[in-house]
Amino acid sequence: MVSKRAVWAVFRFSPVGLTLLLVGAAFALLTPTFLSPNNLLNVCTSASVVAIVGLGMTLAIASGNFDLSVGSTAAFAGCITMSLVPQIGVMAAIALGVLSGGLIGWVNGLIVTELRVPAFIATLGMLTIVRGAALIYTRGRDIYLFGRTEYKVLSSGMTPVLLALALAVLFSLLLGQTRFGRHILATGSNIQSARRVGVRTSYVLWGVFAIVGATAALSGLILSAQVLTGNGRLATGLELSAIAVVVLGGTPLTGGRASVPGTLLGSLLVAIINNGLNLLNVSVFYQNVTLGLLLLGALTLEALAARRAPNRATS
Amino acid sequence: MIDPVLPVKRANQLRTVRPVKTDQPVTHEVRPVRRAIRNLDWDLLWEKFGIATILVVVWILAAIGTPRFAIPDNLSSVLRQSAFVGVASVGMTIAIIAGTFDLSVGSAQALSAWTAVTIAPHIGVLPAFIAAVAVGGIVGLLNGALVVLVRIPAFIATLGTMFLVSGLTFILTNGQTARFNGKDFVWWGNGLMGNIPVPFILFLFCAAIGAFTLHRTSFGRYVFTIGSNVKAAHVAGVPVNRTIFLVFVVVGLFTGLGAALLGSRLYSAGPGLEPGFELNVIATVVLGGTRLAGGRGSMFGTVAAAILFATLSNVLNLNHVDAFVQRVAVGLVLLLALSVEGVRQRLVERWNRSQRPGS
Repeated sequence: MVSKRAVWAVFRFSPVGLTLLLVGAAFALLTPTFLSPNNLLNVCTSASVVAIVGLGMTLAIASGNFDLSVGSTAAFAGCITMSLVPQIGVMAAIALGVLSGGLIGWVNGLIVTELRVPAFIATLGMLTIVRGAALIYTRGRDIYLFGRTEYKVLSSGMTPVLLALALAVLFSLLLGQTRFGRHILATGSNIQSARRVGVRTSYVLWGVFAIVGATAALSGLILSAQVLTGNGRLATGLELSAIAVVVLGGTPLTGGRASVPGTLLGSLLVAIINNGLNLLNVSVFYQNVTLGLLLLGALTLEALAARRAPNRATS
Repeated sequence: MIDPVLPVKRANQLRTVRPVKTDQPVTHEVRPVRRAIRNLDWDLLWEKFGIATILVVVWILAAIGTPRFAIPDNLSSVLRQSAFVGVASVGMTIAIIAGTFDLSVGSAQALSAWTAVTIAPHIGVLPAFIAAVAVGGIVGLLNGALVVLVRIPAFIATLGTMFLVSGLTFILTNGQTARFNGKDFVWWGNGLMGNIPVPFILFLFCAAIGAFTLHRTSFGRYVFTIGSNVKAAHVAGVPVNRTIFLVFVVVGLFTGLGAALLGSRLYSAGPGLEPGFELNVIATVVLGGTRLAGGRGSMFGTVAAAILFATLSNVLNLNHVDAFVQRVAVGLVLLLALSVEGVRQRLVERWNRSQRPGS
């Protein structure tokens, strides 16, 4: 019985962490190549692309909002950057790309706070607008970047992983140690009370949406650097994967709480499962099914855990 | 501000008391029209008829500006186009009024449409439609069970079923598109009755059923009550769980019917039928004046919004506007329509503030 309690304790501490260990162990036993350094790097790279947006999305959800426009922002920033590299150099183009994402995010924030459109609809509108803008900008064609392999610096080796880790540390510190972070959580748990006690919730939301936009742009840049191709259809559906990853990590959709390490683990879990299924020669079609089952399974367990601990609020 | 510690008498002395003039004429006898206008609930009016008014204006402008718009063939194609998103929006309107949400309608649509197209040649058209509706209903059952029995928040539960069902559809179809162009089958999506497209008639029929359910049945009243305040509804004895469960099933049923119509319209259906369909449906419902927070909304608005979106893309097509620019236009319309209310609120607040300086 002790072992059962121990497992339960680990599960309560980090459900996604435990699942990660179990799934990782299963794939390590089932496939010889899973634990090879190359494959692990692959897994981590694909995890970090989602993780970077996911981290931004964690902040948005902690502030009681959503951002559905991240996929479009990623595509837009990717295309802009690809076309700017030949003219102004790699570093300046990357900086401008991330900045453009931040600007789009800031506009989201403006629509939410100034025009009082609910975040869900505001970012839904921006989803179509920004995606349209990206397609107009590329005229629906691909942008290739011949011979500028230095742009690959964004996607090669450990760069994406390091970026994701750095952002995770940064956001943990931001949420735990800074006034802005506390204001984000206060806004997320109760925006009226936050406003009453003097939090400038509009500025907080501008900041949050700008950060989400910038992280989305960064993910878009990494995606475009991987194939050295910019395309207006890049990262379609990224918004829902990012939200799924955040939720898997244990950040509640109700706002006011955030789990930054959870988001990292959640994206790693999804990446590991997709990779393991690939190695087992399972059709790509099953990836969506497993993601759905995973999400529902995790939340079912969480709901059951909430029932076991009746003193915790379940809503 | 008066210090609350002061004695009441002194406080009254400090306040300048304005004498009440009783012999002044009462204002509403003098200016009844202006008073009536001032007393109008603009919020409610905008919510109920705003989108319909915009639709009428857009139709007039389109008829003036685009010569090929106001001919019967084109108008009937606009109405036809509005039906496919529209039928699913009927269910979604009920869900959003109840304060929940369904993100799985896109993948449920693909699965239902594929089912209809695949089995129609073998078992006939009507059974195929029933099967498609049933498939939607099953997805709805799953959603309802997850939300009500397991208590997963609707947003995530339906996000999960979205991934699950879209994956299942890919596996079942093996990534292939099914085709069928039997005459009886494609009539449902392409046919005309008189001058009016069949799918649009079905859409209106569905909307009428939806409106009847919302406004004339106890189920509908429960939906509004739950959407306004779920705790109060529970305390008042509304069967919250049963109603929410049914709402998800209803969404699934309407989605299934809309999907079968689309499959019939396109003679085909595959796993990637219409990416982003769920967001289009939600956008239509919200544009129609239904509050995302729940408790308020109307089927009439949803019908108007569905026609408005169809009109918009039709007019832009007639004027040879790039498909990419169309996306931008659709997003802008959504944002503009939805920001009207917020901007009005802000103006009212500013006006109130200027009336009472220093408060």
